[in-house]
Amino acid sequence: MDIHITPLDFGKAAVTILGLSKSFGETRVLQNINFSVDEDEIVVLLGASGSGKTTILRIICGLELPDTGKIILHNRDVTNLPPRERGTGVIFQSYALFPKMSVEQNIAYGLKIRRTARKEIKETVNRLLELVHLEEHRKKYPSQLSGGQQQRVAIARALAYNPEVLLFDEPFGALDAQIRATLRREIRALLKEIKVPSIFITHDQEEALELGDRVAVLNSGRLEQIGTPFEVYNNPETEYVASFLGSANILDGRIEGGKFVSSDVSIDIDPEEKIRDGESAKLVFRPEDLFLRKPENLTQKYQKLVDGTIEEVSFIGAFERVIVKMNLPEHPTFVVTRPKTETAAFPLKAGQQVTAGVVRFRILRDPAAVANTKMNKGRNAAA
Amino acid sequence: MSTNLSSIRHVRGFDIVKPLSVTVMIAVMLPLILLPLASIFIFGTSNGLASFWAALTAPEAIFALKLSMVTSFWATAFNVLFGLFAAYVLSRYSFWGRNAIIVTISLPTAIPTAVAGFALLLLWGPYGTLGRLLDPQGIHLMFTAWAIILANIFVTFPLAFGVIKPVFDTMSHSLEEASATMGASRWQTFWHVTLPSLRGAIVSGALLTFARAVGEFGSTILVSGNLASRTQTAPLYIFAKFNEGHVEAANAIAIVLALFSFVIFSILFFARDWLEAD
Repeated sequence: MDIHITPLDFGKAAVTILGLSKSFGETRVLQNINFSVDEDEIVVLLGASGSGKTTILRIICGLELPDTGKIILHNRDVTNLPPRERGTGVIFQSYALFPKMSVEQNIAYGLKIRRTARKEIKETVNRLLELVHLEEHRKKYPSQLSGGQQQRVAIARALAYNPEVLLFDEPFGALDAQIRATLRREIRALLKEIKVPSIFITHDQEEALELGDRVAVLNSGRLEQIGTPFEVYNNPETEYVASFLGSANILDGRIEGGKFVSSDVSIDIDPEEKIRDGESAKLVFRPEDLFLRKPENLTQKYQKLVDGTIEEVSFIGAFERVIVKMNLPEHPTFVVTRPKTETAAFPLKAGQQVTAGVVRFRILRDPAAVANTKMNKGRNAAA
Repeated sequence: MSTNLSSIRHVRGFDIVKPLSVTVMIAVMLPLILLPLASIFIFGTSNGLASFWAALTAPEAIFALKLSMVTSFWATAFNVLFGLFAAYVLSRYSFWGRNAIIVTISLPTAIPTAVAGFALLLLWGPYGTLGRLLDPQGIHLMFTAWAIILANIFVTFPLAFGVIKPVFDTMSHSLEEASATMGASRWQTFWHVTLPSLRGAIVSGALLTFARAVGEFGSTILVSGNLASRTQTAPLYIFAKFNEGHVEAANAIAIVLALFSFVIFSILFFARDWLEAD
């Protein structure tokens, strides 16, 4: 298989990953991964377990070697360097603080190893303790700290030696839900303050959207899409991205005369979408972009999708979740979330007949057709 | 250590089983374990402390105690250092035959000590497999203090190794990985990160090895030659004096060895929290 290498501007990027592939025995863990991280940028690698995100992180810091591909840190090719010569700062999932060293000693470790002058070590440690608000815990041992405090020690410890990049391996995995949300805001604020390029890995989409300047979605060793949280959420390029980031309703169909068509459904699509007639496609829309009305009440605001029957209405806190069985072949069910304003204006109960209208949607082309067009383009360029 | 687990109530009112079972346990232990230990002290001091002191400070007795301590010290030093190295290699690298080595290395605990001594004689003795080659060079290992150290190493090797290896196995890899990403070399990581976590295991491994080596009899009597004031260790001295009918001389040393073991195991027992502390 030939590796497709996208030319990247190394000058601006703090981290550049080029054509990374890796197999463990017969299992292909990573396939041709390319992306870069700019100075002061936070990139989140999002994927389910087994998607290869941890392997990417371990390859960047040198704990794992890639089969093919390159790792460039600030214009320095570090692909074949051992971990200690790379200068990355890794915040491990369980923090991996040295249990027999105090907070101070943990933070000083990287500098001690570099034989930094004692006075300078002291100054750096003091500055970092202040930065992560742990001055009064400096003499404590890791086992005497809370999870959040341990995490801050781990970050301070990595910052001590001015790392090329900070790598966070599922840093909130061990904490409970409320602390996670607070810490994630704190850490984002901290990283924006110190301006160190950072890569996070997580399987939590909410975390990814909140933390990242850009989010890279991984699926079985492939990079499906990389973009700002807004882009990946609102303009998913693949079905996997659409369904992994938030929930998505998906309807199979094809393009006919500038419309998306699937049995009785016919939706006008943006003329900008360059999809040829007859090509099969998928209509993807978020639960919050679907509106349920009595058949006669559907206004011009919405494009009519199809009629259906309410199957279930459940209260899930800030929203109401409604499951609707659609009057389509095979009777697919769609999920709709409705804010309080909606539920007050149009109360619904199970068994009721409704019409579903959609305000925002995305058309996904058949991957095979996309690949074909790309190949044709390549051929034209060659000719 | 003595956390009181509340036991399940099986009957209404007073439960006779508890005081009864404690009494039975002590009654069985008394003649088997507690009384023999006590007798050493009762008989050893029955002729007065002066004669006990004289027996203890006899030159032969002092020599035997010293020899035991010195040979045990070197055997312990070797077994802890090499045990640490072997445990590191066997838990960090996987290679063909690794499991076979782990099993073999632990074997000496199961071998009768007399067999161990005999095996050493067959290897290093004047007519032994290797000894035969060394003998003409004037190198004699058997029937010297070296023989005692070799026997102690052989018999006690699995002790320190056995305590240290599990700690290596269960130690989180991410500590060493963190150290490496922070810029540490292999040696720096071992010294600053790995070794401190092994502190407890090393101390308890060393104490166990030393206690076991000081008391070693079966293999030493075969390889040392049991020459008074030359290759006679404390346990051999007890045996020799008893055979000669000098019960009091034997008893004085027995008291010292018993107290010594008692002290070491008290340290192990009461310092366990410190030794195992993270």
